[in-house]
Amino acid sequence: MRQGLRQSMAWLHAWSGLVVGWVLFAVFVTGTASYYKAEISQWMRPELGAVQADPVRSADLAAAFLKGKMPDAAGWYIELPKPEEPLITVHWWKSLEGPFHQALLDPETGAPTKARATKGGDFLYRFHFELSMPPMLGRYIVGACALVMLVALVSGIVTHRRIFADFFTFRRGKASQRNWLDAHNVTGVLALPFHLMIAYTGLVTLAPMYMPWGVQTAYKGDEIRFFVESGMMPEMRAPAGRPGELASVGAMVATATARQGEAPEGIGIYNPGDAQASVVATFEEPHGLAHLHPQIAFDGATGAVLATNGGVRAAATTSAVMVGIHEAHFAGPALRVLFFLCGVLGAATVATGLVLWTVARTPKGAREAGLGLRLVRILNLGTIAGLPVAVAAYFLANRLLPVDLAARAEWEVGAFFAAWLLVALFGAARAEARAWPEAFAAAALLFCAVPLVSAATTGAHPFAAGARFVGFDLAMLALAAGFAFAARKAGRGVLDTARRRAARTPAEEAFQA
Amino acid sequence: MNPAVTLLNLVLCFAGFGALALSLDRHHRDALGSRVPAGRVLPLRLAGWCLILASLAVAIAFEGANFGPVQWIGALTGAALLVVGLASYRPAWLRPAALSALPLGILLLPVVLAG
Repeated sequence: MRQGLRQSMAWLHAWSGLVVGWVLFAVFVTGTASYYKAEISQWMRPELGAVQADPVRSADLAAAFLKGKMPDAAGWYIELPKPEEPLITVHWWKSLEGPFHQALLDPETGAPTKARATKGGDFLYRFHFELSMPPMLGRYIVGACALVMLVALVSGIVTHRRIFADFFTFRRGKASQRNWLDAHNVTGVLALPFHLMIAYTGLVTLAPMYMPWGVQTAYKGDEIRFFVESGMMPEMRAPAGRPGELASVGAMVATATARQGEAPEGIGIYNPGDAQASVVATFEEPHGLAHLHPQIAFDGATGAVLATNGGVRAAATTSAVMVGIHEAHFAGPALRVLFFLCGVLGAATVATGLVLWTVARTPKGAREAGLGLRLVRILNLGTIAGLPVAVAAYFLANRLLPVDLAARAEWEVGAFFAAWLLVALFGAARAEARAWPEAFAAAALLFCAVPLVSAATTGAHPFAAGARFVGFDLAMLALAAGFAFAARKAGRGVLDTARRRAARTPAEEAFQA
Repeated sequence: MNPAVTLLNLVLCFAGFGALALSLDRHHRDALGSRVPAGRVLPLRLAGWCLILASLAVAIAFEGANFGPVQWIGALTGAALLVVGLASYRPAWLRPAALSALPLGILLLPVVLAG
């Protein structure tokens, strides 16, 4: 059969979108939440006050802690406290193959923090590109889905007949398939630059991992050399092989701060117990689109400056700009809201597309839906309604689980997956028409409960003067309102369909078929 | 980054998209009860595109050639979403809202210049 370009693109769009839709929805939701990763982490550790930590003192405290943990480590890494995350995060490892250990320290005392154990916003952030799977596997799956998303985007643009004429068109109250198509088109087209950007730059972010062969071939096993030559790392020294004493890391932080005009965000200490230890201060700047991370390397034994990373040329800058735009660390509060909105539109595009796929294939009249269609419906509900419920459950678990529970952070993640599974099973057992409004109503109730439970358990009135989490609470209430609206719409859609079925004339029936 | 600049970007894009929506028969009919008069299409489209380009100019002038376009594209999405919402749910408000966006933009100017 000969088909026009548009029909074949429509086929490609429908099937490529379906195959990756569920994963993409999860990636969009968790990625969008990650624009507020720091705020989420802050909310999930309510014990931490707003501390103005001293980076010099923090670095010395962290180094003392790490020396107690693993003096002969291959490396330590210290993330210095930030206003939005007033904690020192330390990592240490014996070999680059792992295992990598981690601890959160109080910037005042240098002892492990007394804040409740939680993965915070980091869990959603890592889920965004690792799906809670073994990291490499998760990244490959997300990368494959992003690749197919680009296919779906381009074929979708070709399929869309009237991008400009229907740019503002969202017809309410028309036949349901038309409605879903309008919603899919509007959410897809209005944020199209964002969708294209985020899929492409997402791939670029992990491209060196997906396609390591160029660097492997050119540098023959010495891949560190690649990072040094491309200006992304300063020159490092090999260990001397004899023990040495590490000078004050705090003093090196002070020197680095003086040279760069601001405190570094992190300090890497390589071969800390060796006479030729290296200490590298990494900065979160320039504060431009590009994420370049200037670095200064120190001699660990003397504290003298050894090297800085070289000038970054066009290719590396291009890649850094793409990573920078993807992560949007540069965005101020107003622009961040727009990025968040675009992310929500992305999730909505995927969700409406998935629902549209089933609506367009629903058999007319009294014929039963086939197995494939029923499976897609169940997966749709399980993903589109299940994931928001899971996120709300994750936040609620953070407040409801006992603070001193063993493996508490893992229990929070357990609550996330348990809630998700519960909604998916509920959707499989319940009639579709009832399941959607009920699952959305559950999401609305749970998001509404988050600020209330938080107020009850932390004893802080959510809207008291000077309350720290007003923004978070309002966001939860806005999400609750959004899901309540969706529940109402879904409930009414059920009635409309029933009414229309009853009222449909034979002529219409024939036309529809 | 100055939130007032983001707001001004949004306001200009909103007015621009409002004019573009009103240059289309469907939305003109919903908003004003008639098809677009023949002589009105071109002026509305010109005004729309000029306002959207003005928003880009403002973004680049105040946020630089690197952040400016990023912010402008974000504002395009946000403003277009508002226009779609109005066109579908409150079409009668589309014209007054787009027109009142212009004085709002002028009111924002001193804040933008001061920031």
